[in-house]
Amino acid sequence: MPAASGPADVVKAFQQKFPQYKVEYTRFVNDDRGNLKLDTALQGGVDIDVYFTYSLGAMALRAGSGLAADLTDRVTADPELQVFLDTEQPRSYIDNGKVKALATAREPFFVLFNEKLRQQAGVELPHGWTIDEFRATARKLTTDRTVGVYTVPDVARIALGPNYWYDGNRSNFGDPHFEQGFRLGREMIADGTAFPWTEVLSRHLDAYQQNAFLGEEFHLWSTAPFNLRYLYDAKKYPHDFKVAFAPPPTVDGRDWNGGSFSNFIMINPKSPKFEAAWAFVKFWLTEGATPMLKGGKLPVLGDVTDDQVVAGMLGKEPEKYFDLDSFQRVVLTADPKLATDTRLTGFPEISLAVKQQRDLCWLGEKDPGVAIREVRRLADAAIARNERRP
Amino acid sequence: MATATLVTAGTKARTEQGRGIRPSGWIGFLFIAPNLLGVVAFTLIPLISVLVLAFTDWNLVSGIGGITFTGIDNFVAIARDPGFWHAIGLTLVYVVVSVPLTVVLGLALGIALNRPLPGRAVLRAIFFLPYIVNVVAIGMTWLMLMNPKAGLVNQVLDVFGLRPGWFASSHWALPALIVMAVWGGVGYCSLIYLSALQDAPRQLYEAADIDGASAWAKFRVITWPSLLPTTIFLLVTLVIGASQGFGLIALITAGGPGDVTTTISYYMYQTGFQFYRFGYASAIGLVTFAGVLVLTLLTWRAQRGRALND
Repeated sequence: MPAASGPADVVKAFQQKFPQYKVEYTRFVNDDRGNLKLDTALQGGVDIDVYFTYSLGAMALRAGSGLAADLTDRVTADPELQVFLDTEQPRSYIDNGKVKALATAREPFFVLFNEKLRQQAGVELPHGWTIDEFRATARKLTTDRTVGVYTVPDVARIALGPNYWYDGNRSNFGDPHFEQGFRLGREMIADGTAFPWTEVLSRHLDAYQQNAFLGEEFHLWSTAPFNLRYLYDAKKYPHDFKVAFAPPPTVDGRDWNGGSFSNFIMINPKSPKFEAAWAFVKFWLTEGATPMLKGGKLPVLGDVTDDQVVAGMLGKEPEKYFDLDSFQRVVLTADPKLATDTRLTGFPEISLAVKQQRDLCWLGEKDPGVAIREVRRLADAAIARNERRP
Repeated sequence: MATATLVTAGTKARTEQGRGIRPSGWIGFLFIAPNLLGVVAFTLIPLISVLVLAFTDWNLVSGIGGITFTGIDNFVAIARDPGFWHAIGLTLVYVVVSVPLTVVLGLALGIALNRPLPGRAVLRAIFFLPYIVNVVAIGMTWLMLMNPKAGLVNQVLDVFGLRPGWFASSHWALPALIVMAVWGGVGYCSLIYLSALQDAPRQLYEAADIDGASAWAKFRVITWPSLLPTTIFLLVTLVIGASQGFGLIALITAGGPGDVTTTISYYMYQTGFQFYRFGYASAIGLVTFAGVLVLTLLTWRAQRGRALND
């Protein structure tokens, strides 16, 4: 994360409180290359005391390969941090009973409405809705010029919650919700209510969804807080509409949010400055994370006021670009069920298989059932191969 | 006479020694040390590492202590890996289609640019440009050109009722990459052919003109044989280059849609840097190296035989 999006201010505040410590923040971009740089630096003995891991696959690998210090005693001894021992809705990564990584942010998903287009279409802002109602709304919002929705929420995640890819020693892709999700996306793309996947791939829109939303190419955007930064800075990202917030739809009465506790902080076990490192980690988790709000990071521990959240996440003129009532309802007062995965066997391979088959399915080249059966085959093979390895 | 020469040489050596210059071997090594260190650090050590890692199971983050020797397990796994064979098949298609096309079009362009055209120097520079332009700029430009909806290519093809999906279609993504590779290589080929054409024996053309030979006959009997060494060079370098094609794939398609552009280089990258299976990726690298070596030798020998016969 860029230092200017929050980390620099956290570091400054920490050094003011603990003048005896000097902290240097170095950014490793969260992509393959950035993660490789960090891994190499950690392995090569570069002076790194505390680091962040965003992808779950990398976290499991780092924690399982001795690159993460055991924080169990510290967490257990501190009443303020007991929440990290929860295993129902995990906020930490626990490897063989040892706490190795602590989530610093909660990232609930929500659905954003372009208010101007919603009002033009005469559609009511939902306070709660099913996946069928979501689809019907997208249909109502689709016009000759604009598409209803960018893409569909993760149906299987909403229905199944954490570790939804796994079922015992095999994958869980036999669960019908996976095929339902593929089919829903395909049908909505085919009937023009979801964004055409050819456009998504050829314009690399997955990484630049905000541009199409700001350009009013679609009405509904299933996203997370980190994308709000594009919506309050009209100088950098010009637009003249407000957005309103709706919760993700439910599936078969089940309501996992789809978002997660994430942005895991870890201590390098080779660090000779463990006490200082722990002081920094605790500061970030408890009183220090407020500046991260401007990067869209809601702290895991609730030491921030609603006003701080509004000021941090919605910019200087929140009422100009956001519908604050719906923000209050969906983000501030709701306590959504966030699903953090703790089973990660073959995670990178399964992620790739899901993406590849989803692309083929949503391009209209592969039947959803055939695509999901291929995901299941590849995922089972990945799990078997990784469980064989020491 | 011989003795005198020896005495003279000895005297010269002694004189140089007396001026403080010692032509010892280590001074030479000192001069080449910076380059030598670079070669050892960035070529030799990685090469040896790949060779060793190919027989291990290793994920990088587990450190040197995490290396587990597994004998030939990786190679056995490669033989049974459908992903590897799929990638090899795609790479072969990519090489077999793109290399001959590049050479043929490069030759045609080279011959055209060898004629006394107005603005010939500018044309040569324009055609050579793709070879020196940054791969990112090329990728972005082609992404825009081949956008299925708004791209210039499809707007032209629309006249003929065609609208391929290009990079967003599993049928068109590989052909699109081949088009880009050919476009990028033709200018380079033409320039190499151009220099070879200018060395072609003039007197043979004059003799052929006197005999009334047709343009095709002159090309077949004089031009083509004189260009064979250049063709061999181009084939070998292009085959190696195409087998290692990675930049544009990583930038534009990331191996997709599905896995239709996952060539062997990209598969190796995926295995190593996305799945953290560095031992297996090294084994793939080693097998690929052997394959490219064989392919190169075959290309070289086949063409060399023809060149000698001619």
